[in-house]
Amino acid sequence: MTTNESFMQRNYFLLRRLHSLTGVMPIGVFLLFHLTTNASIVWGMLDSREGATALERGVRTFQAEVDFIHSTPFLLLVEVFGLWLPIAFHSLLGVYYARTGRPNTGAYPYQANWRYTLQRTSGYIGILFIFYHVATLRWGWTWMVPGGVEWKHNFAASTMAQILRGGDEWTAAGAAVSAAYFVCVSMLVFHFANGLWTSAITWGLTISARAQKQWGYVCAGVGAALMLAGWASVLGFATIDPVKAREIELRHAAGKGGAAEVLPAPKP
Amino acid sequence: MNNGTPTASKPRSAARSITVRIKRCDGPGKPARFESFKVPVEPGANIISVLQWIAAHPTTDGGQRTTPPVWDSGCLEEVCGACTMVINGKVRQSCSALIDDLAPAEGDTITLEPMTKFPVMRDLMVDRSRLFHNLRRVKAWVPIDGTYNQGSGPRESPEKQEVRYTLSTCMSCGCCLEACPQFTPEPDPAAWNTSFIGAHAISQARLFNLHDTGKELATQRLDALSGPGGVSDCGNAQNCVKVCPKKIPLTESIAAMGRAVTLHGVKRFFGVKD
Repeated sequence: MTTNESFMQRNYFLLRRLHSLTGVMPIGVFLLFHLTTNASIVWGMLDSREGATALERGVRTFQAEVDFIHSTPFLLLVEVFGLWLPIAFHSLLGVYYARTGRPNTGAYPYQANWRYTLQRTSGYIGILFIFYHVATLRWGWTWMVPGGVEWKHNFAASTMAQILRGGDEWTAAGAAVSAAYFVCVSMLVFHFANGLWTSAITWGLTISARAQKQWGYVCAGVGAALMLAGWASVLGFATIDPVKAREIELRHAAGKGGAAEVLPAPKP
Repeated sequence: MNNGTPTASKPRSAARSITVRIKRCDGPGKPARFESFKVPVEPGANIISVLQWIAAHPTTDGGQRTTPPVWDSGCLEEVCGACTMVINGKVRQSCSALIDDLAPAEGDTITLEPMTKFPVMRDLMVDRSRLFHNLRRVKAWVPIDGTYNQGSGPRESPEKQEVRYTLSTCMSCGCCLEACPQFTPEPDPAAWNTSFIGAHAISQARLFNLHDTGKELATQRLDALSGPGGVSDCGNAQNCVKVCPKKIPLTESIAAMGRAVTLHGVKRFFGVKD
């Protein structure tokens, strides 16, 4: 504990700044891509490519995105060093730092003070959620999934829909998972947008109150767009029919010659 | 309906009574209790004048004889910071807290409590040593002591004077610390060097780093602000700037010192002297 503390003290500034940096890059940038990709279940419906129905276009576009990610060489290394370790680092230090404060929105209910408190609350909840999310979908801890469905990257949309429903049909536990996803994704998007705002103060990029306010509008815009993407993802997966989605994914896989081919050519 | 009537002629009830609840404490570490007093107030009265009346008539509204309440005050014009306390749940100076604003009607109640971030000496009086200790951590002064006359200082531009003047109005009252969720009570003085330094000290470090002679100590100030309890400990709740009675742009100072320690850190990382 003592050596631990002195290590923290000796490298105090570096650790603080690494905590800030990892929040934006890689974690924040990843969140940006992750939610945009997942929202393809919805924006894919607008895709003019292959697919007779909106559902087919959504499922196929999302599957193509997942196929692309799974074609990444050394994916596990990228995940471990680009995501899991930075997230673990940001989480551990975040909890350590958050525990030094005592929220006081009762006496001082200012907007920025509420964000201070919510930043910490969303951090705590976000850690639990990310752990659950990665453990169930990536590490295959299906005992934590109502219905026990395992996420399969070849059946990306249909298995995700099952996980959010608790099976092919809605169950109460599945609805709870969906609700938790909705709340936790919202919390994490807030955490990123607000963190983007505070990081500019931390590093000294925005100094004047005016600059801080204007950067706040930018962060709010990024947050709002990302919030829409997050909601589209959760609601999109929760509302598609897993059975129909699975049929589309089977046809998609059959139509795929090799890994290089992403989507079948548009019909003439 | 008041056509032609100056607003100053708004009639004020001559004499009325309010209730003042005071958090009492007989000494360091002693248990706290609340006592209420019924106090007649004159128009224009402030918290200090009410406290003076209670000290002269130390009988609670229940008719119980008690000790005169103890508080700290100095200038009575909101420039010394001594009379800072928590009034109706918010920190501010009691000399500039007017009864007509806080308790406009007959029988209204005002609650007075000592600041919570500093040890209570007695009743409303706290020991703000840690606040001044934190100013010493960033060497919040201009080093002019020496064995010979150093001559006159460098000229300062009006632009810089304008920035520095506002920062120089800090009266070390402690409002920013009381409202800060990151500045928490720390009874052990041994921990004061690593606990959060507070907005006042960060802003004073900026003030003296902006001064042409004061910046001789800039590196030492930035070292202090880079370390444990320094500017990185700020959580950006920004309550400090909301409660500052002098309207000092504390959050701008925090960001400015954030930039300064960023550059300082980069230079230190590459072994460059400031």
